[in-house]
Amino acid sequence: MLLFVIFSLVSIGVLIASLISPSIREIAYAPLRELILPPPTPIVVEVLYSTEKVAWLNDVIGDFESTHPKVNGHPIQIELEKMGSWEIYNAVLDGSRKPVIISPASSLQIAALQDASTAQFGMSLVNPADAQSCHSVVTTPLVLVSWKERSEVLWDKQPSRSMWRDLHDVLVNPQGWAIYSQPDWGYVKFGHTDPLKSNSGFMTILLMTYGYFQTNDGLTSSDILSNAAFQQWFLEMERTISRFEHSTGPLMDKMITYGPSTYDLITVYESTAIEQAENAVGRYGELRVYYPPSLLWSDHPFCIVNADWVSEDQRKASQIFIDYLTSKPAQELALFKYGYRPVDTSIQLDQAGSPFDKYASTGILADLGKIPEVEIPSGSVLNALREFWSRNVNR
Amino acid sequence: MRKNTQYLITSLILLSFLISACGQLSGILPGQTVDVSIIYGSEKQAWLEPLVKQFNEAKNTTAEGKVIVIQAIPMGSIETERGINDGSLQPVVWSPASSVYLPVANSNWKLTHSDDLFSGNQSDLVLSPVVIAMWRPMAQALGWPDKDIGWSDIANLAISEEGWSAYGHPEWGKFKFGHTHPEYSNSGIVSIIAEAYAGAKKVRGLTEADLQSQEVIEFMTAVEKSIIHYGTSTGFFGDRMFERGPSYLSAAVLYENLVVDQESKRISGESSQIPVVAIYPKEGTFWSNHPYVILNAPWVSAEQKEAAELFKTYLLDKPQQLLALEYGFRPADPSIPLISPLDTQHGVDISQPKTILEVPNADVISGVLDLWRETKKPVDLVVVMDISGSMAGDKITSARSSLMDFINNLDNNDRLQIILFSSDITTLTSLTELRSKRQNVLDSVSGIFEGGDTRLYDATLQAYQDLSQNGDPNHIRAIVVLSDGDDTASQNTLDQIMYEINESAGEGGNAIKIFSIAFGDGADTDILQQIAIPTGGKQYDSSPENIKKIYDEIATFF
Repeated sequence: MLLFVIFSLVSIGVLIASLISPSIREIAYAPLRELILPPPTPIVVEVLYSTEKVAWLNDVIGDFESTHPKVNGHPIQIELEKMGSWEIYNAVLDGSRKPVIISPASSLQIAALQDASTAQFGMSLVNPADAQSCHSVVTTPLVLVSWKERSEVLWDKQPSRSMWRDLHDVLVNPQGWAIYSQPDWGYVKFGHTDPLKSNSGFMTILLMTYGYFQTNDGLTSSDILSNAAFQQWFLEMERTISRFEHSTGPLMDKMITYGPSTYDLITVYESTAIEQAENAVGRYGELRVYYPPSLLWSDHPFCIVNADWVSEDQRKASQIFIDYLTSKPAQELALFKYGYRPVDTSIQLDQAGSPFDKYASTGILADLGKIPEVEIPSGSVLNALREFWSRNVNR
Repeated sequence: MRKNTQYLITSLILLSFLISACGQLSGILPGQTVDVSIIYGSEKQAWLEPLVKQFNEAKNTTAEGKVIVIQAIPMGSIETERGINDGSLQPVVWSPASSVYLPVANSNWKLTHSDDLFSGNQSDLVLSPVVIAMWRPMAQALGWPDKDIGWSDIANLAISEEGWSAYGHPEWGKFKFGHTHPEYSNSGIVSIIAEAYAGAKKVRGLTEADLQSQEVIEFMTAVEKSIIHYGTSTGFFGDRMFERGPSYLSAAVLYENLVVDQESKRISGESSQIPVVAIYPKEGTFWSNHPYVILNAPWVSAEQKEAAELFKTYLLDKPQQLLALEYGFRPADPSIPLISPLDTQHGVDISQPKTILEVPNADVISGVLDLWRETKKPVDLVVVMDISGSMAGDKITSARSSLMDFINNLDNNDRLQIILFSSDITTLTSLTELRSKRQNVLDSVSGIFEGGDTRLYDATLQAYQDLSQNGDPNHIRAIVVLSDGDDTASQNTLDQIMYEINESAGEGGNAIKIFSIAFGDGADTDILQQIAIPTGGKQYDSSPENIKKIYDEIATFF
């Protein structure tokens, strides 16, 4: 009897205490806790993330939740909302959204946001230099995807260093495929996404620009806004594209469902190409993946927003979530199921069963060590390119 | 006091149960539904209709728990665009046969609205290339499958006076070609865009200047010359071709799925026609991609948009997409491989098309339509109208006004004759171009009044004989007969009319067509059907309420 009374008193005491401090809740007698106590308020982490990683994140989020993550006894509640990478940029910059984490498809948007928010608010909303608050979780380079049958006619193995200039010339040639003795293939059709809405489209026009100047760095706003020869070259190429999809997944879907009649070549992420490599065979044949002469990476940064609407607890919760995304199980899932390159370098890319092993015949390479990368220009250069496209091509 | 407390607690508990029960019930109470109207291109009717039924029966709900009710109506794509823009059609979702006309729809919408008609990119529901469906022996005569065939070959065939004789088959007669009416149907508009491209010898970058060139005008006129008639929907056109066979129509612009569907029927024994194949024009073609467009219109609410999204997700789910394959579509789901019935056995080649034509901008599309109006095959038309005593009242009023609308829809170079019948047979105007007489004819029609007997056979026979004699065989020749009752006073018989019709059977699809309208309950539908069907025309049941609609539909044939 006495034991029962003591037990009851302690239980009640713990329950009352846990009302004041949720971290004590854990030690409260479970049946009573669930019956009597109101659930502790969760720490809500709103994440605006780019659409490319929707399938991977949806897979991972369940596993993450099953670990019952908490900060000071408060459960972490991740609220994921997918958006175009530049939509995220716009929504944060115009104040219409106040998320805790943003994860566009690449550091390009982070660079642009850093410059734009500093100019607008006197302080940057993101801090890419700080690995604690901005962390890439998976990476994938922009690639060119073509139908094997057609690409074999166009480029033997690897396109030359002047790939973008070559591509321009073949796209604008009124003879089209006839110059390769394939008149029934019509004109050469290239596609990329809308650079104002989708990161892969923006990466494409940035690489095109570097390709025109045949350089990997030092791009300036005046290169874009004042060089008439470049502008003409650029616009000629863009005018051959009749429709800009709003995001990368649907563009790749369209390549597969419409086939070579409609898309000879498109730019997408390596991971997107991997995802559809098998589907392609069931529709119009094998795909061929090419790496551009200089690479640009979609590195999926997860950045905790540097603003007063983010609390310390939310910051901690975000850290726990990002740590989970970079943990081995999540990283392996990203590689095996979705064809991303893990940031965890201990995971070997071309191990048996990985897509890099499976689809090697399509031209997918695990080791890109020899291919140079282009420099990410400053936010003002990026915005100049966006502006130029918006004014002259947008439709 | 204690009892009171107990009572209060019990009441509170009961009340809370009641509130929560009401919450649960709200979803199934009458009025708690979200209606989603969808107007769609008729070619996907066979696939879509059972899915709408299945979705509705499952009582799917929105986040708020309201039951979604889908109501789907098939309609010509271009016709729908006009309806949406003049406000007479107010669907939540529009799923035309292709995206080709969407920019035109939006630019028309923006004339009176500040927002776009739709936002973002649209999902495709199913895909099918635009093809020239041709009877296999005819395609073989052109060199198929070894030789690529294009719009230019069709034009050459159409221009040639020899017709199939030039290909060693005089027994097939003239080349008879068909596409739907470009002002009503998607396949009609893409046909004439393809013709314009072929005429300009281009595959992209068609300009308004191209449309002025003599070459393009002549090319288009030549192809259109071989048209037997136009029509409102592609599905109907396919049915026509497959029911009536090669003597009626040599080839028509259809969608690949309609060829697959017909070949499935032939293989199963349901159709006894000879095989038909899909020709993918070598210059390129267009896709029919069935976009699912949720309208951004003032009459569409947020919850309707939500419900429409849910239905879209359902249509794009794998089971529904697999079903589309069975109907001969190429599924929009990239994970579904293109397998049977998409194979050569069913007349199609999935490695085709090899290339597409670039979709021109909205202004160029409108320009192509203008050019078509100038180059289309003219019609020689005889309208035969019952003005007997029984037409008194509403009937004569509505018949008069709808005939006037009908006349207004005809082009200047169309030729029109009007025969009125009662106890007498009067020719109101003889078969001459409408160009200079339009106003006079309209004035005369407005003065028509009723009285007397019904000499249906005599009048119809006279119309047939007049048109055989005076009509130009290079024009579409048609008779529209409107009657509200049995023949009561003719000297001729039905047999005599049938004899004349049978005499012309050798002309196949180029023969005179009779469209008959049974006006009101007193009309003899059987007889009107007997004179219309063998000619390739159609019989309609009508009333003063819908006569205008019937005339509108008949107009799509010319």
